[in-house]
Parts: sequence; C-alpha cells; structure tokens
Amino acid sequence: MKDLKLVVQRFDPVKDASPKMVEYAVPKREGMTVLDALLYARDYVDHSIGLRFSCRQASCGSCGMKINGRPRLACYTQVEELGGEKVVAQPMDNFAIIKDLVTDLGSFFDKHKAVTPRLVREDGEEQERPTGEYLMTPGELSKVLQFTYCIKCGLCTSSCPTVATDERYPGPQALTQAYRYSADARDQGGAERIAALDNSHGVWRCHFAGSCSYVCPKGVDPALGIQLLKRHVMTGKPPHAKDEASKVWKAPESGR
Amino acid sequence: MSSEGGGKARNRRGLSGWLNPYHYNFERWAYVFQRVTGIAILAYVIGHLGDTSFFVGGPIGTGPSQSSWTFISGIVENSFGHLILVLVVLVVIFHGTNGLRLIASEMGLILGRPASIEYPYKPRSLRLGQRALIWAAIILAVVGAAWAAMILFGGLA
Amino acid sequence: MRESRLMLLQYITALLAVALVAVHLLTQGIIYPYSTAISFGTILSLYRNGLYAIFLEALLVVVLVHGFNGVRIILHEWRQTAPWSRWVDIGTVVAIVATVAFGSKTVILAVFGGASG
Ligand code: SF4
Repeated sequence: MKDLKLVVQRFDPVKDASPKMVEYAVPKREGMTVLDALLYARDYVDHSIGLRFSCRQASCGSCGMKINGRPRLACYTQVEELGGEKVVAQPMDNFAIIKDLVTDLGSFFDKHKAVTPRLVREDGEEQERPTGEYLMTPGELSKVLQFTYCIKCGLCTSSCPTVATDERYPGPQALTQAYRYSADARDQGGAERIAALDNSHGVWRCHFAGSCSYVCPKGVDPALGIQLLKRHVMTGKPPHAKDEASKVWKAPESGR
Repeated sequence: MSSEGGGKARNRRGLSGWLNPYHYNFERWAYVFQRVTGIAILAYVIGHLGDTSFFVGGPIGTGPSQSSWTFISGIVENSFGHLILVLVVLVVIFHGTNGLRLIASEMGLILGRPASIEYPYKPRSLRLGQRALIWAAIILAVVGAAWAAMILFGGLA
Repeated sequence: MRESRLMLLQYITALLAVALVAVHLLTQGIIYPYSTAISFGTILSLYRNGLYAIFLEALLVVVLVHGFNGVRIILHEWRQTAPWSRWVDIGTVVAIVATVAFGSKTVILAVFGGASG
C-alpha cells in the first residue's frame, strides 16, 4: 500500500513568524483514523507536533481540527473516507492557536458558562439536599435529549460565519445549550436565560447558515436548537413558565 | 478576551468566513448569497432613488418634467441598463423567496422537531425540505429573470 | 431597544416588501408593456391616482428600512468596539431618514408639483 501523505500545519506563535505546511509519510493500515496517522507521525517522525486528544472515540471533544478544509474530530474521521491519499490537518478556525493543532478553547467555555448551562430552580435547598426526584416524561426528554449529546468540541463554533467576525456572539454551541436548558421541563430559569440573549450580539446574529449542524460530530443539530430558541426570545416567553416546571416527586413509603 | 494574546495567535476567519462557503453546506451558500444580494439590492434602490428623481426634474427639481425624464431615460434605457434590470430582478426574487424560508425557519415553523438520533445522522434542520426551498428560490429567480429578459430584450416591450 | 423588536421590524418589513415589490414588478413588467410603463404620461397619471402614490411611498419606506437595518446588522457583526456600535446605530437612522426624505420628495412633487416642459 502506498504511504499516506499527511500534511500538518506547524506553527508555534512564540517562535515562528508564520505557519508552514509540513508533509509526513505515514504507512497506511486498515481502519486508520486521522488521529492514528497524526500519532504515528508524532511518535516516529517528529516528536514536536503539537496536538490534543484523549478518548479516541468521539466522546471527549479534544481532537477537533480542520481536516481537508472542514472542521472534524481527528479520531472520528477515517483516512479512507477522505480518499486515502492525502490528509491536511490544520487547527480549527475562529480559536486562537496555542501551537500547531492545539487551539485555545477558553473563550468557548466562557461563553458556554455565560448561558447558565444548568437547571435553575427556585427550590435551591432541594437541589442541594434532595428529598425526591424531578420527574420528566419521555416526551419532555425527547425535546432536549439530542442537544444534551454536545461534547463541547468547538467544531460548530469554528465553522460559524458570525463567530468569524463577532467576538461577542455566543456561538452555536452556547446558544444551543441555552435552548437545551430552557426547554428542559425541570428548569425554571428560561425567562432570564432568554432575556440575556436579546441584545445586538445575541441570538439574532444567527442567520441559519447551518454549518454548525453540518459539522457537528454528535448529531446535536445546533442550528435546529437556535432556530427553536428564536421564537421564545422574540416573544420573551420561555418554553414553559416557572410554575409549570416539574415538581418534586417523592417515593411513597414502602411497606418494607 | 482571555484567549487571544499571550503567546497565542489569533485565528478568526474574518470576512472570508462570510464570503467563502467552500467546504461547507448548501445552506451556507444560500447565506452568502442572501447577504450579497441584500447589499446589491440596497445599492440599486439608492441609485433608483436618483434616477426616478428626474421625473420631477432631478435631485433639486420642483415638479413633473417631461424633458428631464426624457434626459434620464436616454441614459438608463439601453442594453446595459436593461441588463442591470434583469440582474436586479434575479437577485430580488432570490432574496425575497429565500428570505421567506428564513423567516419561517427562524420562527421554528418548517424545521421538524428534535428527536432521537440514528446513525448515519443527517441534521433535521438541513434536510430535504430546506434544500428544496432554496432550489425553489433559485428556480423562481431564474424564471423571473428570463421573463424580464424577454420583456426588455425580446421585443415584448 | 430589545434586539428582538428590531428583528420583528426586519421580518415585518420583509413580508411587506415581498408583497409590494411583487406588485411593482408586475406593474412594470406585465400589466403594462414596458415602454408604456416607463412613459412620462403613464407615470404621471399613476402618480395622480392617489392610491399608487401611497403604494410607492410605502414601497420606499419598507425597502429602505429593511435594507439599512440589514446593513446595520452586518456592520455590528463586523466590528464590536463601543464607538463603532454607537455610530452604526446612529448612521442607520440618519441613512433611513435621509433616503426616505429624498424619495418622498420625488413622490410629493410628482403628485402635487406643477408640471413643466
Ligand atoms: S454542538 Fe456539536 S459541534 Fe458544537 S461543540 Fe457540541 S458536539 Fe461539538
């Protein structure tokens, strides 16, 4: 089998003036992922290639990068599906480069945190020391389940044309999580979450280019979440009112 | 912002993120065209305010003036001017019909609902319905422009 | 102002523009032969029929508000410094007022101005 041509964008902002593309020959094997190829190059050719990975199974969201021009997870992309001859690995767009393929996701996590991505309840004491459970029907679960699969890899945000220029825009990941928590039957913080996104750099800077959903490796469909969010921001009404949220359910005393 | 500066290199795509949809999905191309056609239409409208003002004698005119209208007609009513009009019809119809798709989508009307995922997964928000509507906008625009061309160049005037 | 109010304005002007522009294209291209539609006499008689003047004025306002608000959105997405944001908002209002005033002047003079040669 012919070797794979692996081209990696090398750039250390502390030392280098500009990025350069370096080619490595990697022996192919069946089922090889781009991450496998990068690790081969790092282990046997050049130890200084900077890359980040952890789980190798599309669960951790660490190895997001631009592969052959499109944001993908290196561990979730087989060399074969890219034609099997040439793979070009570059850091994700829209995030600052730390070194080579490693980008800084700090601002990304800050934006995620800014949408209050947790269940907001008025019964805070109950959340700290539960006396029962917040119930959720299967129908209620299916409204948000798909959005809970987000692994915060950043691929969607790196694909977004608005993020490309607007530093204050939350980005597809954060907006989708804003919808995910507001639409959760157990949540009571929808009104505040929605009001916080109704400004000139909030949800309305999405124009439904859909690239986020196109690149998301987990089927989250951020564009769907954001469009569903917009109607609520427009009307100022969250998906459900505070007093419609799930009540605490206590198990009946068992006769044991 | 915490992440930019301090030994790191800024890597936002900038305007190329708006203008270059290469490697991305069909809807991304529609986004680019919506934005570009919007600006083009506004530019045309501003110009059109200027040429129509000659109906009342030009920018500083005082009332309907046949000679001033004949003067501006002599400038804009020719093959080049008519070509511009055909292009304007093309982009106006695309912008309008694609815009209707966007309004309906942004109000959550034509997207489908979140549901469980089966692999290989195709995002619900990018399914055939959206694509068909973008194609409908393109086809309507081309038909409208062809009609305009027939009127302006084909002797239907 | 809440951004969603401006977005609602953008949607409403969009829907009105679709309807009004459709009428405009029909009157220019289909209802009359093009050469008649752009002749001085036809336009004058249309203007002096009050309804058509109101239609043109509505078209003018709707399209310019939608267009300049669209540019405002694009400019906000482009840069985010505080002075930029402020001047974009002010500039949008100024541009709408100036262009609507200029276009309205044409409509008003066409309807009420004394015709000359
Ligand atoms: S929504 Fe998808 S692409 Fe975006 S961060 Fe989450 S998993 Fe990654």
